[in-house]
Amino acid sequence: MARSIGALAAIAILVGAAGCGGGFSDEGSAGGPTGEVRMLVNITPNLTKGYWEELVKPFEEANPGVDVKIEAPTGQGVKDTLPQLLAAGNAPDVVETLMADKTLAPQMLELTDQAWTKDTPLVEQAALDSKVYTVGVGQQAQSLVFYNKEAFAKAGISEPPKNLDELTAAMGKLKTAGYLPLQTAGDYVTGLQLLQLSDPSIATKHPDWYQQVNSKQLSVGQTMLPLLQRYESWIENGYVDKNALGLDDVNAQTSFLTGKSAMYIMGSWFVRTAESQKPTFDLGVFAAPTEAGQPYPGPQGVTMAAPYMVLKSTKQRDLAVKLVEWLVSDQEAVQSQLAQDGNFRKGFTDKLTPLGKQVQDILDQAPKHVAQGEGYGANTLPQGFNGEWNKAVQSLYTGKSAPDVAKRIDSWMGSKS
Amino acid sequence: MSTPAAAARLRDRLTTASMVGPALLLFVVMLVVPVGLSIYLSLTDWNGYSANPAIVGLQNYLDLARSEEAIRAGWVTLLIAAVGTVLLSVLGLGFALLVNGASRLNAFFRVVLFYPHVLSALVVGFLWSAVLGTSGVVNGFLTSKGAEVLPFLSNPNWALASLIGVLVWAGFGVNVVLYLAGLQTVSRDLLEAARIDGASPRQTFLNVTLPALAPVVTVNLVLSLVTLLKTYDLVVSLTGGGPAGSTQTAAYLILWDSFHNNALGFGSAQSVVLMLVTAGLALTVARLRSRVDQGVKA
Amino acid sequence: MSVIRLPRVKTEVVRPKPVRLKGGGRIAFLVVTSVLMLVPMYLLVVSAFKSQQDILTHPFSLSPDLLTTEYLQKAWTNPDFNIGKGYAVTALFVVSVNILSVALAGPVSYVIARRTERRYRVLLLLFVAGTFIPSQVLVIPVVYTLKFLGLMGTIPGFVLFETTLTLPFSIFLYAGYIMTIPASLDEAAAVDGAGKHRIFWSIVFPLMKPAVVTMVILNTFSVWNDFVNPQIILGPGSGLYTVTTGVYAAVSQYSTDYTVVFPTLLLAVAPLLVIFVLLQRHVISGLTAGATKG
Repeated sequence: MARSIGALAAIAILVGAAGCGGGFSDEGSAGGPTGEVRMLVNITPNLTKGYWEELVKPFEEANPGVDVKIEAPTGQGVKDTLPQLLAAGNAPDVVETLMADKTLAPQMLELTDQAWTKDTPLVEQAALDSKVYTVGVGQQAQSLVFYNKEAFAKAGISEPPKNLDELTAAMGKLKTAGYLPLQTAGDYVTGLQLLQLSDPSIATKHPDWYQQVNSKQLSVGQTMLPLLQRYESWIENGYVDKNALGLDDVNAQTSFLTGKSAMYIMGSWFVRTAESQKPTFDLGVFAAPTEAGQPYPGPQGVTMAAPYMVLKSTKQRDLAVKLVEWLVSDQEAVQSQLAQDGNFRKGFTDKLTPLGKQVQDILDQAPKHVAQGEGYGANTLPQGFNGEWNKAVQSLYTGKSAPDVAKRIDSWMGSKS
Repeated sequence: MSTPAAAARLRDRLTTASMVGPALLLFVVMLVVPVGLSIYLSLTDWNGYSANPAIVGLQNYLDLARSEEAIRAGWVTLLIAAVGTVLLSVLGLGFALLVNGASRLNAFFRVVLFYPHVLSALVVGFLWSAVLGTSGVVNGFLTSKGAEVLPFLSNPNWALASLIGVLVWAGFGVNVVLYLAGLQTVSRDLLEAARIDGASPRQTFLNVTLPALAPVVTVNLVLSLVTLLKTYDLVVSLTGGGPAGSTQTAAYLILWDSFHNNALGFGSAQSVVLMLVTAGLALTVARLRSRVDQGVKA
Repeated sequence: MSVIRLPRVKTEVVRPKPVRLKGGGRIAFLVVTSVLMLVPMYLLVVSAFKSQQDILTHPFSLSPDLLTTEYLQKAWTNPDFNIGKGYAVTALFVVSVNILSVALAGPVSYVIARRTERRYRVLLLLFVAGTFIPSQVLVIPVVYTLKFLGLMGTIPGFVLFETTLTLPFSIFLYAGYIMTIPASLDEAAAVDGAGKHRIFWSIVFPLMKPAVVTMVILNTFSVWNDFVNPQIILGPGSGLYTVTTGVYAAVSQYSTDYTVVFPTLLLAVAPLLVIFVLLQRHVISGLTAGATKG
């Protein structure tokens, strides 16, 4: 019996090997002018399944016989769900939210020779070796500090801080005035805020940061260390809540929008959340400060809003490409997506709210738009960086020092090369 | 002469095969083969997308031995399993003794102790994070009274304790029920005899009740241990593995590495180790317990 | 805590006559415990009737001017998650898995319990080893296997996999239980010329009813509450969801809008909880009955 169990295991491994060997070399086909196009999308409070279905309705009406099927992720998100669908041989035709990198690109259809891609935002920056796989609807500004103007006035701060020393000083005044100076949270927020804050100063100091990090001339930990030390001092001085890791993003937003805290670092999508909750105070926004001595405003962290890719394996290639073209080019579809999730795009500025206008100004005034975290196109870090960075930054709250954090992230980077 | 006997034997074998076959086949196809696949994947550098993963031998296992994060997740899992198993068994037996008896009140208490098992771990984690979070119910109350916030989910040690606490909260009702079942098997005559012999309640408990419960204790220990070593859903919904990754269990990290870090080969190596450790621990506990049982009987 | 109380309580083990309020300390202790057990449920119920702001600022309050059924109605009509359909689908899964599980685990347990050869011991060990496998870390291999069989994203695929997960513990419990049923019963039937299958289903099976009831209850909870497996095997393409995956889809990790979360959770758990409370005597005694002998 023991022998037969051994034999069973051996057979199982062989079957397994044979099963995996098949891979996903499916080439797909052009498909006809009608049929079903399956699109895997990200679902958020702003972007509900109902919203997505409404969004594609005009496309379906303009193309009789075409059915766009919106699919919500089943795993913890699109990133988990896509490999599961590929393994199941049930890949969607279009995927939203992910951006092509070295791992994903071989699965995706190259869109380089599609003329319409030229007019979409960030398309060149997101290209891999000048091959276009990912197209988006708009831009998200990342390095923004939302602030409570009332709190600033009470603390006697006449204008928003331009460099990080001024920011720290402002925090001291805000604390004295009885506010929690900077709102943060656990979950994904901790690491994201620090990345957003780092974009202007890092990109000023090291214009080729991504390349130098990847060629090991620079290390992430070392370049981030000054900011980590600063953050550590904020925790020590009570400028951020030392129990913030027990909050989620909604708790943090609520706390900020009800006037308990004075500043909240977040991307431009927060504009929509903030406006829908109608805070009782005057809400302002400024570009993340730079290091003392660096010009202000500095480069702005910018990411692609609603990135779309077509899968290589699609049996409806023509329709899928047509759908994506429509999603990123059609005036109304673009306008709707920009408004729904607080995104920006040149030529679509008429309908902006006052707060939205301020963000658009920040985007326009930034000397440069730069990638952030895992990044895109030529500027990327290994998959999983954002998550590891988040955990590392959180450990500042759990008794680790800034050099510990720098070491932890560098050792993770080391394990990925 | 021998032909009818041989035919009978054959018929007997076919009958046995028809009783064993379907279950065994399903078990092999749906569990043994996937485990085999896992072993195969653990020897590759597969990222979840590439068509032809390269065989890298034992590299993933070497990486695992060097990964501080994976080792930490392993210890966290073991701690949860050890502390959780002890708590589940002690509370299970304790409350079983408290609510053993046919009164309506006891029936009510039994329902109250057991009901969290009706809820999925996902729902349980969600509810408790609303209770224990920094702006949750308890802390909201403390703040309104001017007290300091308690870091239930924001301090690594507290978060781990909260996680174990919620696991126990959600799970010990089952142990209560199992022990209640065990208590029905304790011989009335023996208990009566012990009482007549003038044994103290403590002596009766130690010498009569506990030995009679021995098999139930073993089942409880092994079941709790095996379940706790797989802890995943509750981590997702209660702590998200945080703060700073301090409550990541082995199962949580496996899925994280597989899909967020695109390291399915490495994740598979962790799965294989987790299965081996679980099997080893469960068998050890079962064996130790059976020795204790025999010792008691001797 | 409870250890201190053991001596007094133990006397109730001897004579389980109805407990009057004489153990005042015991009752007080149990009441405190009950409150602890019920607090999250209370929060779930009241929060389903409140706005986001009120949930966060007055979580415990029951003030009538805070309460509204608006959100509950919205959750009920949520286009992403038809709760009625979720219940129907989940109930179908529960019934199929239970029937299949008994049909498969019963006969094999009978063979294991009655045969003395070593290989059947090993077979039992092999099955029991199945309980050591954390199914959620096998996602991708299971997906491959089901795809190979053409069962990925289908109801039979899910039911078969979920049934497999119930086999190890069922076989462990059934085999143990059957061993306590005297073999002389089936030997007598064999003399009358009944086949093994007949003997099992008509003589042994009725006697092992308590163990089957226990397993059915346990399996019902585990299928009902399973999250990772239905999510992956049914996938987004099938359009099928169970109550648990439906809740997750409606609530999703991004959606931290509590006016969606709490009403949805309440609607999802309420019917099962009501059924449990109504049947609690049978559920709990059913669970104890099967475990007694095994």
